[in-house]
Amino acid sequence: MEKYLLPDIRDLHRIDVYEAHGGYKAFRKALQMKTEDVTEEVKKSGLKGRGGACFPTGLKWTFMPKQSDKPKYLCVNGDESEPGTFKDRQIFEFNPHLMIEGTLIAAYAMGGSISYIYVRGEYGKWIKMIEKALHDAYAKGYIGQNILGSGFSTEIIVHRGAGAYICGEESALMNSIEGDRGYPRVKPPFPAQNGLWGRATTINNVETISNVPLIIDRGWEWYSKIGAPKYPGPILVGVSGHVNKPGVYELPTGVPLLEIIHKYAGGVPGNKAIKAVFPGGSSTMVLRGDQLEGVCMDAESLKAAGSSVGTAGLIVMDEDTDLIKVIARIAKFYYHESCGQCTPCREGTGWLWKILNRFENGEGRWEDIDLLLDVANNVEGNTICALGDAAAWPVQSMVRRFRDEFERRAKIPRPKVLEAVAV
Amino acid sequence: MNPTSVLPIVEKYNNRRGSLISILEEIQSQYGYLPSEALQVVADRTGRSLVDIYGVATFYKAFRLKPRGKHLICTCLGTACHVRGGPSIAQEFEGQLGIKRTGETTPDKEFTLETVMCLGACALGPIVVADGHYFPNVTTSQVKTIIGRTREGLDKIEVQKDKRIFPVEVACPRCNHTLMDPDHLVDGHPSIRVTVSFGEEHGWLRLSSLYGSYTIETGSEIPMGTIAHFFCPHCHAELIGASNCMACEAPMVPMIVQGGAIVQICSRRGCRSHMLDLDATAVT
Repeated sequence: MEKYLLPDIRDLHRIDVYEAHGGYKAFRKALQMKTEDVTEEVKKSGLKGRGGACFPTGLKWTFMPKQSDKPKYLCVNGDESEPGTFKDRQIFEFNPHLMIEGTLIAAYAMGGSISYIYVRGEYGKWIKMIEKALHDAYAKGYIGQNILGSGFSTEIIVHRGAGAYICGEESALMNSIEGDRGYPRVKPPFPAQNGLWGRATTINNVETISNVPLIIDRGWEWYSKIGAPKYPGPILVGVSGHVNKPGVYELPTGVPLLEIIHKYAGGVPGNKAIKAVFPGGSSTMVLRGDQLEGVCMDAESLKAAGSSVGTAGLIVMDEDTDLIKVIARIAKFYYHESCGQCTPCREGTGWLWKILNRFENGEGRWEDIDLLLDVANNVEGNTICALGDAAAWPVQSMVRRFRDEFERRAKIPRPKVLEAVAV
Repeated sequence: MNPTSVLPIVEKYNNRRGSLISILEEIQSQYGYLPSEALQVVADRTGRSLVDIYGVATFYKAFRLKPRGKHLICTCLGTACHVRGGPSIAQEFEGQLGIKRTGETTPDKEFTLETVMCLGACALGPIVVADGHYFPNVTTSQVKTIIGRTREGLDKIEVQKDKRIFPVEVACPRCNHTLMDPDHLVDGHPSIRVTVSFGEEHGWLRLSSLYGSYTIETGSEIPMGTIAHFFCPHCHAELIGASNCMACEAPMVPMIVQGGAIVQICSRRGCRSHMLDLDATAVT
């Protein structure tokens, strides 16, 4: 299929090459349109956020106040810290101007006076590349005062993160830009009412914002026909784990997971069977290898299969993988990254890790299996932000879908009396 | 450390809202960690309580309150690297360096070992990052080599072998007189000779003519971070361009490369920013 986000064009990161291939045409077009028409176009296209929550992007934009004499902000979320996800980095490196153009169109549609591109601190090399791209765009007059004579003015600033997973959460991201600890904020008020510096703010993922120029350039009807009807557009799928050709593949949404693994990522080394996959990064629900038939990389299909599209970071695990070790590792990650604000998450993530650590060391007890579910269920939905859910889901799904693994590893086996009841 | 050396960093941001993380990042890039005296100065100058500063400094993984070894080796233990054998790599490093727990430093202060949850390069797993250099698809048998190469210095460029490095011949953009000094070799090639001044000092500076090498020789040592003025030793005009360095905003120094290009280097000591403009024809 044709590639739109990461086309095979040499040196596309250079502004002259980008312009020669129709770059900034969509932005020029948007400047001729009425701001509400731009938003409407994005709304009709059916574009949904690629950062994990799948929220309709156009609808999000309409939450911003129309008439306001106060400054409005746009944040482009490039914190990309989800284990298994490495798609935004490809945009930073190979097509940064697409992201900048999308940011400009979004800022124009919402009347944003300053846009922050929040990039995770570990991406030092890519931050320099984005800064270079911004510098060139400023020099060409696409950013700044009275852009291209339209009377519209906006600024774009790159903000470097300092290494905290939680800062990918939108309200923590705003606190981090403000120079504080990245603590998520209680919602409501939502960012569109009270966001960065207390002003109206919209936060979009890097990949989401990079889809915007395509919609404006070719129209919502064209865009909505790509891929799965309810989750349209091109999507960057990052495949990692036990595959022959790990990497980021641009595909239309709705490609079956098995096709991605076997056709694009070159299959599993040694032709081993797939034991499990995380379809969208480590915080999505794990799927069994034998339930993948017919499941597609699309929000609806994955929801029906009992998981979610997340950030489309597909982690493949073959039949020899020790899933207990995997889930213990994931639990440790969330325990480490929990900001500590909400008790269920702060204590729950540590508790989950402790129990899973027991299983890892062969000390697991029979009743621990249900305890894992009990703890995870009490973390889920009881926290300010979604990190609690993200920590609970992989554990819940792992216990539900691979209960036999836990039972086999339990040091203290199933009590006799329970066995009698079960029979 | 001398706490007053932190003052310029804090004052540069002029107590602007949201600048605390940037201030801490700069202090850390100067000292390699955040000394407690420095945090006290930041607290005094920004008017925030020390506990606020400490809270931010301990919240983010990027900040350290303890000094680190000369070399940092970091193994990724994200989910994708984990399933491809990350933990055994980390263990091998611990064993070979005699470090008991991750985060610790060898007694000779040479190596610090860390692990990271995910580097966002899952396709290359298992990954090890040593002093900013990425080693993809690492196996336990490579651990020894990685330690060895890191100890030697990964930033050290093998001038003779590296194909990215080629010699350039440059001339003054004002008088067009060559700046090459065939009698004084740097990196085994004729050096570029200019006159520099900084503060009250004046002297000569010889740059390697290899594009990609940062070797210099000076008459008097220029302190790191100082912006120097560059002069042509023939027409004595100052070599100063229209643009500023993209990394540190110091003025750029232009020189004409034989063949029609212009090379610009940053005038700040220690900044490695440079630009080779192949389209440029003239500089004022």
